[in-house]
Amino acid sequence: MPPKKQNNIGHGRPILGRIAPEEFVGRFDALAQVMRLAAPDAHERGLLLLAAPAVGVSEFLRQAYDKLFRENSEAIPIYFALNLNDRTAQATADHFLQTFLQQFVAFRRQDAGLSRASLSAPDLMELTPPDDYEWVERLVEAAERLRAEEDPRAFIRLCLSAPQRAASSGAKPFVLLDGLQLAEQLNGASLSLGAEFAQALMQSGGPYVLAGLRRHLLDLVHRARNGNEFAGALRLESLSDEEARAMVERLARRDEININDQTRDLIVQQMGGNPLYISALLHAARENRVALTSFRNCQQLYVDELMGGRINRHFTSILEEIAPQAAIRRSLIRVLYESSQSEGGRAHVDIWRKRLNIEPEQFQKIVRKLHVHEFASFNANFIEAGNDSLVWSDYLHTRYRLEIEAEPRALVVAGILSETLKRAPQTMARHYRREAALGLRELLERFNCQRVPASLFHYDRFNRTHKGMEADELTAALDAETDLVRLPQVVYAASCASFYPPIEQVCDEERCAVANGFDAGQYSDANEVVWIAAEIESKLEVGRGVTEMWCDRLMQVARACNFNRVRLWLVSSEGFSEDASELLNEREAYGSSRQQLELLTQRINAASAAMARQESAPDEFEMVIPMGDDTELIAAHTVEQIARRVQFQPDAINQIKTALIEACINASEHSLSPDRKIYQRFRLESDRLVVTVSSRGVVPQSFNGQNGENKNGDDVSDSKERRGWGLKLIRSLMDEVEFERVDDGTRLRMTKYLRKT
Amino acid sequence: MAELVTGTTVHSRSVGDMAIVYAGDYLNKLSGERIERECRRQLEAGCRALIINFRETELVNSIGVSILLGVIDAAERTGAQLIFSDVNNQTVQLFEMLGLTRHVALAKDEQEALATLNEFASPQRAAGH
Repeated sequence: MPPKKQNNIGHGRPILGRIAPEEFVGRFDALAQVMRLAAPDAHERGLLLLAAPAVGVSEFLRQAYDKLFRENSEAIPIYFALNLNDRTAQATADHFLQTFLQQFVAFRRQDAGLSRASLSAPDLMELTPPDDYEWVERLVEAAERLRAEEDPRAFIRLCLSAPQRAASSGAKPFVLLDGLQLAEQLNGASLSLGAEFAQALMQSGGPYVLAGLRRHLLDLVHRARNGNEFAGALRLESLSDEEARAMVERLARRDEININDQTRDLIVQQMGGNPLYISALLHAARENRVALTSFRNCQQLYVDELMGGRINRHFTSILEEIAPQAAIRRSLIRVLYESSQSEGGRAHVDIWRKRLNIEPEQFQKIVRKLHVHEFASFNANFIEAGNDSLVWSDYLHTRYRLEIEAEPRALVVAGILSETLKRAPQTMARHYRREAALGLRELLERFNCQRVPASLFHYDRFNRTHKGMEADELTAALDAETDLVRLPQVVYAASCASFYPPIEQVCDEERCAVANGFDAGQYSDANEVVWIAAEIESKLEVGRGVTEMWCDRLMQVARACNFNRVRLWLVSSEGFSEDASELLNEREAYGSSRQQLELLTQRINAASAAMARQESAPDEFEMVIPMGDDTELIAAHTVEQIARRVQFQPDAINQIKTALIEACINASEHSLSPDRKIYQRFRLESDRLVVTVSSRGVVPQSFNGQNGENKNGDDVSDSKERRGWGLKLIRSLMDEVEFERVDDGTRLRMTKYLRKT
Repeated sequence: MAELVTGTTVHSRSVGDMAIVYAGDYLNKLSGERIERECRRQLEAGCRALIINFRETELVNSIGVSILLGVIDAAERTGAQLIFSDVNNQTVQLFEMLGLTRHVALAKDEQEALATLNEFASPQRAAGH
């Protein structure tokens, strides 16, 4: 090994990475898994990195390269990405050999700059350390000889044997191979380049990662000899919400783009946590100097991206790769869009073939590529168009309107912009509902023959015996219960919509779940049971009618899926009325309130904590309180102190306090707030106190477009409805009450005028 | 006159076949449910009249009021009398706004409430004998 004369690794600066390691978000576990392969005592040698489309697999591998380089351990990182610019298998192999040797030498010399330099063969030989000189020289000479002999197959195999030859000389190269899905397009010399790469690395004896689009990679490895030797597979998906939020924040901070929590969350939800789309939008914001501080700005920029920005170029280039001929591409856009709009988006393969009107071989190629890029799913004789990506759907819609409908560009921009703006609150509301859902599926998955108090499944019983108890007292009472339910062992749980898609018409996917299991964990026909659980949205006790409707719906699911023995379980936030409970008992169904569910969850597993954020403004009294635990009292006492400063009368102070309490309760009860916080501002003016209460989350229906007016105009005191009085009270107690428009959630402004006596 | 304390935090005492339940400083969902629970317990135990004393109550929210309506219903179902005593002006205003005062009598203080209930009960007792 040559002496390490100088260490030129850049001290934290990226080597091959495009971003600094500290700016690289998430993927910690995945990165650790790759790094483990480099350990001397690693059990696994190879890893198949199965990537969803556009989730940043290349940057991930480059970060792994940089990390391995800096660690300067035994493993020598080599990063190579297949590239269509190489055009042929031979050129690709040649490029690989050049890259391999250059990065090998760069590592040996611990000179990061060499990894990226453009070196000629003589340069390379000159820089090669003496210990490696012999095998490198032999390899370079053999390559030159085979190149001259015009034996492409032998040349390719020789180039790809570089890792094995290095390993034979005592080195430990660690090859990170990227973009394997492109290998098919570089095939030549009657061999499959992808399979050759896979085989060469498997035989190299050193650690390696084969990365590519997930739908392609498994097929490829299967085709390679000894493909089943792969010890591990790693799936790279979109970022989690939390990681994606962090990514947006870091990019915005780095590029000095103004952003707020609401727009950040919209970007994350709309982009589905996809790092490529997120970075494209943030790049565009930086280039165009657009502040991402309102939904309008975000969506304008987003539509620009769809029409002609990075996102547009990303999808356009893939479509060009899938269907190089413009006419076929146009037909493809039509078929893709129209199929995605049809019910279920599923059509027989013959229908697609007829509509595209192309040769069978070409059709197979196109369909296969659509499948690999996940623009469609090809399964037996059916093709299902579309995927969950809003961005792809929007892009496709744009292209369809421009190219098929031949609409003027301005009309398309205006239309798509309006659509995305109208959709934004729904996107966020859907997100909040998903976040606020009780997590029935996850809870059911954890059922494993535990014994829990029966009262947790019988709201009437719980209401009679436990309601209103202090937490300690309640725990003790539940502990003392002798009537216990033994939960089944659940072996599989999924959303009800996965079993029975029509249920999605009546409830969100995450609010209804099906769990297959066995009573007492005994795997027999007699013990087989299916739990079907649904969460009913209601802020009051659910009545008999609604309960009956839900029982019937869930039984319909059971019949449609041929479930023999089922247990229905309904969950409602405030439980069930007496007659609804009677019905549940008659049908031997369970009914729980949210409180019961939480107690059950506590008993089965630990609950998760809510995240906290805070915003500030320097020129006003501001206060942020968490929802719940009577924190509205803290707000009330604070506003009292503030009101006293301008000599409000005691009665008026009490009215302000009560109004503020009601506003806080409204925020807590209705918003499905993601941060569970209430933001308050108190502004004192010479003749008035203005109190603003805001919270993020869903805007209650009753507040929409009415500026908070009671929809039916009833005098609530005459109403038999015993809830929903808050807004009426606030209006009675304060002089002016107004809902202010905000991008996300609600903001209530209440004013009380000073009347000195 | 027997005096007792029941429940964990809701104080109450019995006066003959009447019961006085003391509300806390803030009447909200949780404290309201505690009062409701105690009132129902008293009614199930045969209590003929209930007084809810609000002398400690500084603030009441709308959920607390809705629970009080439940107590009023429960009392009506069992034929028991119900009086709210020691209610501060602010809370009276709130009860009026939400229509509670149509269904329940208010008394200045506990003594007045007891006197009213005794007055109301006397002819019935006499008739019962």
